[in-house]
Amino acid sequence: MNLRTPILCLFAVTAITGAGAGEKPGLPPPNAGNIDFATDIHPLLEARCASCHGGGKSRGGFSIESRETLLKGSETGPVVIEGKSAESRLIHVVAGLDPDVVMPPKEPRLTPEEVGALRAWIDQGLPWTLTATAALAWTPPLEPRRPAVPEGPQDNPVDRFLDPYRAAHSVVSPPPISDAQFARRAHLDIVGLLPSVKELEAFRADTAPDKREKLIDRLLENRQGYAENWISFWNDSLRNDFQGTGYIDGGRKQITAWLYQALYDNLPYDQFVAQLVNPTSANEGFVNGIVWRGTVSAAETPAMQAARNVSQVFLGVNLKCASCHDSFVNEWKLADAYGLANVFSDTPLEMVRCDVPQGTMADTKFLWPQLGTIDPGRPVAGKRVQLARLITSETNGRFTRTLVNRLWAKLMGRGLVEPLEDMAMEPWHADLLDWLATDFADHGYDLKHTLRTIVNSNAYRMPTVRADPKEIPYVFRGPEPRRLSSEQFLDALASLTGTWPEAAQFNLPNAPQQQPVRAWRLNADPLSRALGRPNREQLSLKRDEQPTTLQALEIANGATLASLLDRGAARILKDEPPHPDDLIERIYLHALQRLPSNEEREVAESILAPHVDSEGVEDLLWALVVLPEFQYL
Amino acid sequence: MNYRFSRRDFLKTAGAATLSALAAGYAPRTRAEEAIEPITPTADTLIVLWMAGGMAHTETFDPKRHTAFETGLASDKVLSTFQPIDTAVDHIKFSEGLENLAKVMDRGTLIRTYTGADLGFILHSRHQYHWHTGYEPPQSVACPHIGAVIARTLGPLNPDMPAFIDIGQRFEVGESEELKAFHTAGFLGTEYGPFFIPNPEDSQAAVRPPAGMTPARFQNRYKAYKALAEAGPIGQMGSAYQQESLLRALDNAHRLLNSPAATAFDLSMEPKEVYDRYNTGRFGLGCLLARRLVEQGARFIEVTTEYEPFKNWDTHENGHTRLVEMKRLIDAPVAQLVLDLEERGLLDRTLIVLASEFSRDMVTEGKPEKLVKDQVEVPPIMTEPKHYGMHRHFTDAGSVLLFGGGVKKGYLHGLTADERPCKTIEKPVILSDLHASLYQALGISPRTNYEIESRPFYVTKDGLGTPITELFA
Repeated sequence: MNLRTPILCLFAVTAITGAGAGEKPGLPPPNAGNIDFATDIHPLLEARCASCHGGGKSRGGFSIESRETLLKGSETGPVVIEGKSAESRLIHVVAGLDPDVVMPPKEPRLTPEEVGALRAWIDQGLPWTLTATAALAWTPPLEPRRPAVPEGPQDNPVDRFLDPYRAAHSVVSPPPISDAQFARRAHLDIVGLLPSVKELEAFRADTAPDKREKLIDRLLENRQGYAENWISFWNDSLRNDFQGTGYIDGGRKQITAWLYQALYDNLPYDQFVAQLVNPTSANEGFVNGIVWRGTVSAAETPAMQAARNVSQVFLGVNLKCASCHDSFVNEWKLADAYGLANVFSDTPLEMVRCDVPQGTMADTKFLWPQLGTIDPGRPVAGKRVQLARLITSETNGRFTRTLVNRLWAKLMGRGLVEPLEDMAMEPWHADLLDWLATDFADHGYDLKHTLRTIVNSNAYRMPTVRADPKEIPYVFRGPEPRRLSSEQFLDALASLTGTWPEAAQFNLPNAPQQQPVRAWRLNADPLSRALGRPNREQLSLKRDEQPTTLQALEIANGATLASLLDRGAARILKDEPPHPDDLIERIYLHALQRLPSNEEREVAESILAPHVDSEGVEDLLWALVVLPEFQYL
Repeated sequence: MNYRFSRRDFLKTAGAATLSALAAGYAPRTRAEEAIEPITPTADTLIVLWMAGGMAHTETFDPKRHTAFETGLASDKVLSTFQPIDTAVDHIKFSEGLENLAKVMDRGTLIRTYTGADLGFILHSRHQYHWHTGYEPPQSVACPHIGAVIARTLGPLNPDMPAFIDIGQRFEVGESEELKAFHTAGFLGTEYGPFFIPNPEDSQAAVRPPAGMTPARFQNRYKAYKALAEAGPIGQMGSAYQQESLLRALDNAHRLLNSPAATAFDLSMEPKEVYDRYNTGRFGLGCLLARRLVEQGARFIEVTTEYEPFKNWDTHENGHTRLVEMKRLIDAPVAQLVLDLEERGLLDRTLIVLASEFSRDMVTEGKPEKLVKDQVEVPPIMTEPKHYGMHRHFTDAGSVLLFGGGVKKGYLHGLTADERPCKTIEKPVILSDLHASLYQALGISPRTNYEIESRPFYVTKDGLGTPITELFA
């Protein structure tokens, strides 16, 4: 038993010694159809070949950690001959042709279907990627691209790109959402709050043809509102929180004040990132990571955490595998991860593969050396300056693509590229992605500019459509339904009743008053966790929005929500008891931006009957905020 | 057995789970499940009795030479501060204070050679994270608790009962953030996370309407909610999918709150003498609750003595007197749990495991051959009774007690040294193999894995856990 094999460090193969050649009788035929490495081969190799060999082992001199090592063969010669499964030694031993050498050595033997899958894989040229079949041919460009905006009747470039796309995919555009729905979406997406009844009525009454654009401008000008909404997005991805593992002994530092100010000032994103990569004491918490007490795996040193977090958040590069060994799910190697980690280390790091020191020092380098070099002789701060320049370089298209994709995903519920952590995957509209990215750079890396561009598009104003998971590749038919975040839900509830938390964990800088206290400024509690606020020990690019039973239990009988409703109802009833009809209308308008139907009014009245008291108001509030219509955008 | 679930109920639940997994889009998916051989389970339910803070083996289930306290006693002379006692199995001795457990040893298996991880520095939270997830922290992904793995892999046993129930740990204590980090389903998603009963003495709070709400009002509120949801413009706001999944989640919650299973949480329904027998404190009542939950078809339950720095098993001083109390806390209720489950015919299908993150010793910190930072001041010569006890953290041997669920009866596994360091000599048991054994009993292959970011995550570290076949009958 190898005790030192690190997490997810898998996928070595059993030793295969000796060489065989030529077709032998009794071989199962190759399986028909196209082989998908991710689903047909990878699990099989993992399940049946990895048990004797952790990531670092290559018994018999043979390893299948990468396509290269696979093709290199074993001590005694080639094991796989590309395109010729019948002649490949691998197939002979797994098929049991040679009774002296049968792999895997432990029962059970591979089934004929499994052997057939391996044969088909070899015959089809050993495709080696875990992407969906459709994306195999895709090579992500590194340099920025400036596709021309297609001609068309629409004003917004996003729509100009999407019109021909929709035509090509026979997507019929439904009529855009109503003013009220738009107001709800825009308010929540930009400042994270429901429109007040007054704001909603003014907006609906406005007859200006460009009132939607004006609303967006107004909301984006609300610097505090914008910062208080978007800070949760950044807290998740920069794994910043008020409390958590590491704080107990100073092994972790928050960056909240810096982050809030950066958003409040709409700090241009290139500077935002440069300052995070080469920080001052105000924001060093991000690259300094979490310093754990005791010894940690080599893949979890602060320098490696920094390499992984910087590349993941800003460049859509997932180095989790490569921080331990050459990845077999993406292109990144151990040397790439160490090359980047060296930037954050005073002395060059010795490469450690699956917690086994390799005896070689890593070169200091950027993920894409063609963009420039980092001087290994410089002190850490100097190397970080150089790294920041390379990341934010005009020639690094990955930097801007990653950001605009994250914004698109946040506003539309799904990225132009998915999954968000891997920007090497094929976008469903490369031109749109690339145009948004260069447009973002051309406008001074202004986050609000790109936000404005997207929310002013007709694409954003379409009714939500849930993508059919069976439709591969994905086709954009409208924004995905999105659930209110934990913070948005709690703020919405607070605004409905006018009851906000009393004390905050964080005081707003430069704010004349600290009220109202919005949910992001509190420590996580059982309710906010149940509603999806993540534990920020690892970074998170996307929250889990799936309703769950445990969450429903927290909503149904949890003490936190019950007490919020209790306080809220008391506040509503503090002045003279409202007439039930007025109360119902006001809550519907504020919560759902519409009046209740007669049927809904009857149900709501029955909740408040026989007379308006705190129990009735609590129950009405509960029923409304738990409605899917309330919880989804 | 007094619970029976129809196949139809099961299918309904399984179908819903699959649907919600599909719907999640990027939800973890099982890889290579087909390639994993089915295992016939010997248990349906796992109960972990967690001795939080480091339970000294030489003071509990692996007594060594006893030395009574006297002023001027050299610390390195003391191996055990308690006398050994006989158990129902001739060749197995326990420490004084575990008389009730000693009587049921013939129903169980004792591992004496659990060897903990070597993290270079003793930290309860990191070792506990390791024990509960199978992975040494830190990790680049949020690792799921074994309860979550079991909930994800097997689902609930009774569809009305949460699959993962965690009893007794409150999170207002020191290192609470570190504790929260592993009391979670991690990347598997909150659906599989723990249902917390922090206060077993008030366990009913978890399943009754919020304080001040009558059951009738609670029902009416839900009824009105459903009426409003039906009357609302579903289609206008997007597909009906959200409506359905949210409603289903709420339905599941209300079903639990109103189902007969919910009565399991009500300890006041127990006869007084039974309640008193278990009531050695919060832990004892947790054991009683566990028994009631098993009767209603729980899948995974953890009951903890509760971790709080320098409290309970975490003895940095006064180890001897503290352990008198800790043994009193666990002895009667754990033994009673075994006997009650046996009497109800449930022990055969319920695996109980009593374990701790590591052991303690008077002299050695960490592993004998390693130098780790010393965290406890232990004087070479004892001058006061507070020096008498096992105050350092020892990771090279520890006791794990197992009952039911197919384990051998009256079996002793492993041998530790009779002189200091009282370390593992024969048959070391590492965590992956212990977990593999527990998983195997439940019919889960140690190579079961779930995908996260295109990578497989195995339920035992790297899929390498090997069940210890000698433990099972």
